[in-house]
Amino acid sequence: MQKNSKNKIPDRALASQIESKALSGGYSILELLFYIAFFVTFSLFVINAMIMMTKSFKETSIYGELAQGGVILERIGREIRQADNISSISVNDLILNTTDTNNVSRAVGFRFVSPDIQFWDAGVGWGDLNLPNTVVTGLAFTEITTAKGKAVKVVLSVRSNNDSLARVVDFYDTVVLRGSY
Amino acid sequence: MVATSIITVSILATMTVAQKSIYVSRQALHATQAAFLLEEGAENTRIARDNAWSNVTALNSSEQVGIFTRTVVASNVNRDDTSKDIVTSEGTIDDGTKLITVTVSWPEGGIAVTKTLRFYISNIFS
Repeated sequence: MQKNSKNKIPDRALASQIESKALSGGYSILELLFYIAFFVTFSLFVINAMIMMTKSFKETSIYGELAQGGVILERIGREIRQADNISSISVNDLILNTTDTNNVSRAVGFRFVSPDIQFWDAGVGWGDLNLPNTVVTGLAFTEITTAKGKAVKVVLSVRSNNDSLARVVDFYDTVVLRGSY
Repeated sequence: MVATSIITVSILATMTVAQKSIYVSRQALHATQAAFLLEEGAENTRIARDNAWSNVTALNSSEQVGIFTRTVVASNVNRDDTSKDIVTSEGTIDDGTKLITVTVSWPEGGIAVTKTLRFYISNIFS
């Protein structure tokens, strides 16, 4: 009996210690609320950052597609520069008489069929100069006749299919036909 | 706390890179447009020369094309009296050659960006 009573006191102390430890190792409501609020705020920050990065990536991609206008105009400009003469010209169409590397005459042409620019070489259509996501909103050719030769002014307007703001970018170039001298 | 700090810094760094990439892409697009405007300025000078050399000697123009400002200026060229090479000072003014300076500038993020193209043009038709 005495032995039992002796054992009971340490048992109670042990139970009290365990209870105390359990309480100190757990979370109070206040802590829980703090962590939930922190987690929500942090999650919002992360989600917002991810949305922002997605938008940035899309914006960068749009600028890349708009810059394709430069590639199109570079091709048009190069063909005009190499040409000997203008076969026919209208606001949206241009056909040039040129000579290839084997000294064989051929005709190359650019035709604006909204929303694409078609490239024609020796009567054969080679497809569109613009990429599917780059929409050509305008292409205008203007012939310039000088005292010594000819030149063509080109105005090209493009926009991106992925751009919800539908921003249009204009490219301007004027090229003298080197073969017209 | 350490993990949160690392994640926050990483995200902030990525966001900064994303913002910078937009700026660089926009600048690249504008630089492409400006390159064509510079080329057009040079070709216009050639057209002016083809029509009459007097058009080139009096060349001093400025025009606004969208956000871009293009100026074309012709300046005198001096040649060495003996070797006839182009010199920056002394020598004699060569009336048959002009130094053309085409400048295209535009605002980019509050800063004016300028691209310049310089070339010589000669009066080859008279």
